[in-house]
Amino acid sequence: MRFVPVKSAALLCLALLSGCSQGPEGPSLQLEMFQLVSQRIASIGSTTPPERQPLTRAGLDTVEGAYIEVTLENTDIFAYLSQQLVRRDTNAGQIVVWRSEDNITLALRSGVLIATRGLGDDLLSASAQVVGTRPGPARGGGRTFQIRGLDNKQQTLRMACALQDLGADPVEIVGILYPTRHLKERCEGGGGVVQNDYWIDYRSGRVWQSRQWGGPTIGYLRIRQLTI
Amino acid sequence: MYPSLYRPCFQTFHQRKVKPSGRAFLALAVASVTTGLVAAGVICSCAPVAAQEQMTPAAASSLPAINTPSFTPLPAPSLNFFGTPGLLDMPSAEMMPDGQFTSSYAWFGGQGRFNLSFQALPWLSASFRYTSINDLNLYRFSTYYDRGFDLRLRLLREGRNRPALTLGLQDFAGTGIYAGEYIVATKRFDTAPLGSAQPGRLKISAGLGWGRLGSHGAIGSSGSRVPYDPASTGGGLSYGQWFSGDFAPFAGVEWQINDHWGVKAEYSSDAYVIETQDSNVFARNSSINLGAEYQLSPRTRLGAYYLYGSEIGISAQIQLNPYHPVTPLAIPAPLPVVPRSDWANLPADWNGDWANSRKTRLGLRDQLELLLAEDGLLLESLEIDSNRALVRFRNTRYRSDALAVGRAARAMSRMMPASVETFRMVPVRSGMGLSAIEIRRSDLEALEFDANAAETLLAVSGIGGAAPVSNEALMAVDLYPAFSASVSPYSSPAFFDPARPFRLDVGVDFNARYAPAPGWILASTLRQRLAGNVKGGRASHSQLPHVRTDQALYAQYGTTLENLYIARSWKLSSNLYARSSLGYFESMYGGASGELLWKPVSSPLALGVEANYVRQRAYDQRLGFLDYKTFTGHASAYYELGNGYLMKVEAGRYLAGDYGGTFSLDRTFANGWSVGGFFTLTNVSAEEFGEGSFDKGFRFQIPLDWFLGRSSRNSFGTTIRPVQRDGGQKVYVPGRLYGQIREAHHASLISQRARVWE
Repeated sequence: MRFVPVKSAALLCLALLSGCSQGPEGPSLQLEMFQLVSQRIASIGSTTPPERQPLTRAGLDTVEGAYIEVTLENTDIFAYLSQQLVRRDTNAGQIVVWRSEDNITLALRSGVLIATRGLGDDLLSASAQVVGTRPGPARGGGRTFQIRGLDNKQQTLRMACALQDLGADPVEIVGILYPTRHLKERCEGGGGVVQNDYWIDYRSGRVWQSRQWGGPTIGYLRIRQLTI
Repeated sequence: MYPSLYRPCFQTFHQRKVKPSGRAFLALAVASVTTGLVAAGVICSCAPVAAQEQMTPAAASSLPAINTPSFTPLPAPSLNFFGTPGLLDMPSAEMMPDGQFTSSYAWFGGQGRFNLSFQALPWLSASFRYTSINDLNLYRFSTYYDRGFDLRLRLLREGRNRPALTLGLQDFAGTGIYAGEYIVATKRFDTAPLGSAQPGRLKISAGLGWGRLGSHGAIGSSGSRVPYDPASTGGGLSYGQWFSGDFAPFAGVEWQINDHWGVKAEYSSDAYVIETQDSNVFARNSSINLGAEYQLSPRTRLGAYYLYGSEIGISAQIQLNPYHPVTPLAIPAPLPVVPRSDWANLPADWNGDWANSRKTRLGLRDQLELLLAEDGLLLESLEIDSNRALVRFRNTRYRSDALAVGRAARAMSRMMPASVETFRMVPVRSGMGLSAIEIRRSDLEALEFDANAAETLLAVSGIGGAAPVSNEALMAVDLYPAFSASVSPYSSPAFFDPARPFRLDVGVDFNARYAPAPGWILASTLRQRLAGNVKGGRASHSQLPHVRTDQALYAQYGTTLENLYIARSWKLSSNLYARSSLGYFESMYGGASGELLWKPVSSPLALGVEANYVRQRAYDQRLGFLDYKTFTGHASAYYELGNGYLMKVEAGRYLAGDYGGTFSLDRTFANGWSVGGFFTLTNVSAEEFGEGSFDKGFRFQIPLDWFLGRSSRNSFGTTIRPVQRDGGQKVYVPGRLYGQIREAHHASLISQRARVWE
């Protein structure tokens, strides 16, 4: 008698039970549930996400286009995001939208995080204390964050921020040392404190590296610019 | 109404500095009994700790001692054996966090209690309980089952020096076996952190109970009280005996030592007369109960107890809160809007002459159809001229219609010629245009990265009624006729049969739907049961026509035609919706049905009428009918009370030919959660109706996306009636209007306005 592996047997049962649907409307609750369970079972034993491969400057030199590396501190998940859109609006600063392959975007205004999409409980919009074309925050003052959360509504968080220049603090990003200054933006409000750090090179007009807060669920993001 | 949104993780108490003084308890004379229970040393030792600085830093280590603003839920109070905040058998005055939805099971001495509770308002909670008592050999049952409802109202919020004060009605409908009323006070104190970063918590409660809670150690009496009568049909409000009869003090203390462990002790004022004197369920040797509880996960708590000097007890509780999803909803990012100034630089780019070419317009329609499909939106039609575009679409993916509208607007901004400045989006369901949202393209371009994008866009957008499809509209080509089919599992439960409280059938549904034209639907479901025990249920002895109680007879057949009907929905005018249906609507009824609904887009009020002529289907649920036929119909008023509360009042004729009205109230949340209750009073007397006296129940819906964190329009949910009888029953007709229309109307869109940009 042949022995049927447990996983195959489970998949077979689910394939029969989970049924199928076709047509313009979405699947029913039961169908969605069973499809989900079968996906979970099918993924048992599949490979774990790849380890973070060490980057080399030689490797980066072969990459075309601008990329940033973003790490979510809460989960230590990281991704490389490519530049999708550069634009301006009536407010100061230049907006850059960065996008990952799995449809997560970050919007930065002169290097200051003003929106996320696709992360869950996203930062819907935020103000930034930027002036003209100067990179990074140019001053302290009030900032508002609109965050989607709780029952999926917009939650407004108003914070008072102070900006502190910690002086020259060059950062090395994959083999290149950038002559940056370290700016610390400390914001208080909503019963808590948020501390954003920026490493800014004023000569090239870039925020090479930053650590910024994306909201209560997202937490801090570490961002560094790999290629331009 | 809503919980305050941001709180530092460590700040959990209203008060920061607590001085334990007798004054805190003077508000209630009953508090004096606490001294018998609580060692004074406990209070004293915790006091200096409670007075410590707030926001205790984790450690003076390299990590900065700061907390970011958080959505961390308020710590939920632990539940007692009745599923309400409290000790073991006794309640406390604590309220759960707003919206909390809990289920718990507790067992001791052969008695099991399954409880569901909902914190409907910050100061009001309601509970439902299903009880089993083994060997309560009274009243003919070897295991006695009962159902009951509780209501709790906070009279006084906890203050710096005063305890919270709560009034409770336990098993308050009819002469319930657990009927009792109480007033209880609870004061909380911080204690030193033991084994965790957060401080512990000490809660001291004391109260006065009536009824069951005044049956041991009574200190006085206020009037007389009718004893529990199992022969009564129950159901009615027994307010005549609330707070009457003997009253007795009770008290207890709970110490939450750290994040995980808690211990409880109480002095019970419940004599368990029926269980220990009239019967022999267990022996009550002591009034002191003790227990320990362990917080297994943020939503799950387990407990073990020693009760009444003789019995071991256990409990498990699961607490959910609509505001705190299991997985935060993440939706794949949209493509950003590219301003026309980036790509339309020549005056010719802004020329509107293209609109004269039908071929160009058809090309735009096809392009838009593809872009919308990427977001799970189905294009119904496009009406377009040189500076305006009106898109009618169906949303098959997103729960939030505001989000679907935003995605449609983004899609249009990507492909429309530069001269098109006004976008009008019409969400369509069942062939009916539900509302029209008008957004200027320049606003879409200018505001996407505005600091307050949602509010600013709302201020310059319009929400109005949807006009009928014009002759100019370019209809999508492949949408009709549409055929869809699915094979999916089903489950069908039956509750509260004394012989077996929970029965379940499971099997497979084969569903087919055919939509020949917008608004028309021909649908059928074939059902094949694979396993189940509903067929072993109780036979009905109802005095009324058996319009709902023959469930077991219907469950005898394994292969059935669940439904087969044709329906049409359409709009008579901009605010008036209509539906007519013909066929086999549900497993028990088939016939003809018509409905009219008046609902202006921005009005909180909707009015409807529905008329049905139905005949009861044969038990085998094929094509045959039984003899029973009836006219049933209602006039309905729906009202959005604000903050997500929906009220519905109906009056009319029910399935058994009884006349009356139904009142229902639901609390809905913007993420799709909904919890509510209803009751129906008709001209059927309590005796004719039977157990329960009148029809009532509660219902809930928990969105699937709340668990999964990804888009879905499906929800889990059920309606639970303590007793299924024949009075006050309605026919189930697929495709009723109000639910599908409201979702894309003003109040719903406004409450989700921020999601336009998601």
